[in-house]
Amino acid sequence: MGLWEALLNWLRSLFFQQEMELSLIGLQNAGKTSLVNVIATGGYSEDMIPTVGFNMRKVTKGNVTIKLWDLGGQPRFRSMWERYCRAVSAIVYVVDAADHDNVSISRSEIHDLLSKPSLSGIPLLVLGNKIDKPGALSKQALTDQMDLKSITDREVCCYMISCKNSTNIDSVIDWLVKHSKSKS
Amino acid sequence: MAQPLVKKDDDRDDEMDYSPFMGIEKGAVLQEARVFNDPQLDARRCSQVITKLLYLLNQGEAFTKVEATEVFFSVTKLFQSKDIGLRRMVYLIIKELSPSADEVIIVTSSLMKDMNSRTDMYRANAIRVLCRITDGTLLTQIERYLKQAIVDKNPVVASAALVSGIHLLQTNPEIVKRWSNEVQEAVQSRAALVQFHALALLHQIRQNDRLAVSKLVTSLTKGSVRSPLAQCLLIRYTSQVIRESGISQTGDRPFYDYLESCLRHKAEMVIFEAARAITELNGVTTRELTPAITVLQLFLSSSKPVLRFAAVRTLNKVAMTHPMAVTNCNIDMESLISDQNRSIATLAITTLLKTGNESSVDRLMKQITNFMSDIADEFKIVVVEAIRSLCLKFPLKYRSLMNFLSNILREEGGFEYKKAIVDSIVILIRDIPDAKEGGLLHLCEFIEDCEFTYLSTQILHFLGNEGPKTSDPSKYIRYIYNRVILENATVRASAVSTLAKFGALVDSLKPRIFVLLKRCLFDSDDEVRDRATLYLNTLGGDGAVVETDEEVKEFLFGSLGVPLTNLETSLKNYEPSDEPFDIHSVPKEVKSQPLAEKKAPGKKPTGLAAPPVAPTSTVDAYERLLSSIPEFAGYGKLFKSSAPVELTEAETEYAVNVVKHIFDSHVVFQYNCTNTIPEQLLENVSVIVDASEAEEFAEVDPSTGEAEEDGVEDEYQLEDLEVVSADYMLKVGVSNFRNAWESLGADCEKIDEYGLGPMESLTEAVNAVISLLGMQPCEGTEVVPSNSRSHTCLLSGVYIGNLKVLVRLSFGVGGPKEVAMKLAVRSEDISVSDAIHEIVASG
Repeated sequence: MGLWEALLNWLRSLFFQQEMELSLIGLQNAGKTSLVNVIATGGYSEDMIPTVGFNMRKVTKGNVTIKLWDLGGQPRFRSMWERYCRAVSAIVYVVDAADHDNVSISRSEIHDLLSKPSLSGIPLLVLGNKIDKPGALSKQALTDQMDLKSITDREVCCYMISCKNSTNIDSVIDWLVKHSKSKS
Repeated sequence: MAQPLVKKDDDRDDEMDYSPFMGIEKGAVLQEARVFNDPQLDARRCSQVITKLLYLLNQGEAFTKVEATEVFFSVTKLFQSKDIGLRRMVYLIIKELSPSADEVIIVTSSLMKDMNSRTDMYRANAIRVLCRITDGTLLTQIERYLKQAIVDKNPVVASAALVSGIHLLQTNPEIVKRWSNEVQEAVQSRAALVQFHALALLHQIRQNDRLAVSKLVTSLTKGSVRSPLAQCLLIRYTSQVIRESGISQTGDRPFYDYLESCLRHKAEMVIFEAARAITELNGVTTRELTPAITVLQLFLSSSKPVLRFAAVRTLNKVAMTHPMAVTNCNIDMESLISDQNRSIATLAITTLLKTGNESSVDRLMKQITNFMSDIADEFKIVVVEAIRSLCLKFPLKYRSLMNFLSNILREEGGFEYKKAIVDSIVILIRDIPDAKEGGLLHLCEFIEDCEFTYLSTQILHFLGNEGPKTSDPSKYIRYIYNRVILENATVRASAVSTLAKFGALVDSLKPRIFVLLKRCLFDSDDEVRDRATLYLNTLGGDGAVVETDEEVKEFLFGSLGVPLTNLETSLKNYEPSDEPFDIHSVPKEVKSQPLAEKKAPGKKPTGLAAPPVAPTSTVDAYERLLSSIPEFAGYGKLFKSSAPVELTEAETEYAVNVVKHIFDSHVVFQYNCTNTIPEQLLENVSVIVDASEAEEFAEVDPSTGEAEEDGVEDEYQLEDLEVVSADYMLKVGVSNFRNAWESLGADCEKIDEYGLGPMESLTEAVNAVISLLGMQPCEGTEVVPSNSRSHTCLLSGVYIGNLKVLVRLSFGVGGPKEVAMKLAVRSEDISVSDAIHEIVASG
């Protein structure tokens, strides 16, 4: 009977399999690679090495396969972000909410990126990471400081998360799954 | 009509079979490359597109910066595919595109992930790509993984890391050098490829440390190397060590036993490598050579063309230095003349020509004739050169060789080939007096149907010099005059000059030449008419059989007395004016005169283009220089000018050297003083020579005039200068020493024995005597085979007064390094023979 169930599930997943492609960007040390790990495996590690270039991960959540382009956040990679954001289902922008000094750089980088015509209309998900740290910005403060209200040509959403404590990760995945498009 | 069309289609089909990429276009392929960005990747399709891109890149198609960047970034998206074949193509295209450093860094993280993946193919290729694109800082990050990879148990991964190490050694030597231990471990690997690459890397790491290389070779030659490729490398490194270490005290060559043992290896490439290494040893002895020649001989009859080629090529080189050692293989090589592979056949033929004896020449020539038409021009040139040297070696065989040359001269061929043949014939004419008339006739026949203006004019010039001296000059006239009727203006003009030369030098022909020259007055070309007019007016005698005036001859055919380059520049600088051009205003010194006299005249025969100019150019220049100074003009013909002797240290304010000019009864010293300080001006330089005790002391007294004229007088002591006996001897070789020796006869022969005292080697003794006498070694006898206990050296020369001298030196080693010498001298005058003995006795 279990075998029959599994076969049915497999058939169903074959027909209703959905797929989406995401780019994960943000300044260095914002927690992008950690987020990928949390989404994919649920594990978290304190010591990470900077991503030189990009990591490509495929994650399956329910009947949705998510292709994740986890891009390096160092300045030398920022000019290349745009190439990996073209034609994705959504752009996920991770900000270190506890790093007050760099929020303004973060703001200008995202606004620069979104001004590219090739990326028009692609939904944006801004994630304020590291809310477990003391002094982390609130959602309202982050929205204001990132000037997210001025982005009107696309769907914009903002969540406050903590990869370390897995806070709000479920809502992020829900949001992502909702924005996936049907495969065929 | 239909048939050719069908055939054409067939042809096209065939070509399609050859390359599936026929006619693909860059633009179209770049369009296709958009599939890389599809959300649903078709791995097979992507692989095909990458193949096309690689094909274009390898065809030399240039991608613009934008195109390359675009392709590169789309390719990086393919990292999402798990298809192993596609991933391999991705690695390749990243390496081939080699985008700029700031872009390529984007794949670093993905490659590092692959480098640690479980798939061996990923690991090996990722290492190769990563090392290609990496820089120093990143290298330190991944060093740990590379070290692990070197000792990885998968040979493909280990090899990839080792080869990357070889590449990285160029850019980051200090990092790669830290991997020595791992590399050393890899040398012991069981996998052939790993051992090969590890050995190469280890040697490169240590290549600047001679001792370390020697140690490496010593330890590995004991037999832990299994891979044939690594064995070949080791043989190369071993011969390098042998070259640098020389022969040990006991006379044994280090590592020779190892090389010899490799001759019995089971892999053919090792055997060949060892054989070649042995033949290339410095001063290899016959005993050492024999086993190598034996295996090469076996290769000659191998069924594999590459082995035959390798063997015959090596034997060809050996034949240049040790012709006797190769004679054993002659029978095998003769069968190779009919080899299907023309390269093998050519090498076999030329080797045989070098090793053959006089009796086999005719047979060889017959065989060569059969295959000459099948080979390319460059091979033909090789054959022609081999025949030329053979002819010089066996002058008695000139008839058949000359016939062969004239036959191939008549066949089709390019300019270089024809020039080689003509040059050879000219050299043979010059060196073998008997061959002169026949050779000249061959050349005459050639110019009857010669499409190369250059060769025609050169041959005409040569005919003009040599023809009149033959027994029957009149028979050449027809050929020369035919040129005036049939050829283009350049050839006609030189034919006119040649005719005039015959007219001037052969008085009996003069009236007939006059008739011919008069006809040339109506030529359509002004240069031809000018020349004819000039000769008609100057030769004199008005068509009667009279002797031509010496002065006229000198004016028409003598040298100008100034270097041609100087004349050319003077003429270029001359501005047309009322004042006529004065040839006396042309400077007579040879600018940028090569002061070092070119040694060994006649060793490398030059052809038509530069008859004896090369060896004598400096002498000519000196002669002209000296005759332009009135004081020396009456001394007669210059006998010899020595090479410049430096009289000052290298780092002085001015360098002084001296050239000794020997005349029949005078010696002239030419002091060349070169100022080495740009701020200083030398004025009133004079050399004071103090001749005492038959030695010449030289001083110089130059006053140093600065620009402000407050010059300082200065006096410098120069080093002593000695006029040695060698200065009175001209190096003139003879082609056949034995004949020359017999012809001089025993009348003026003097024989004596001398003890030369302790000498390091026979070579040293031979060289010492040669330089003492200043004579030309003949037949290669100046080379002493190593380890020999006795040696005979043949010398020839011309002593002052134009007296021919031949010397036969027999050296022997007696006692601890004591060298004894028997000196036999034959010359045209007994007093010269005595003089030679005196030189040796006092030297």
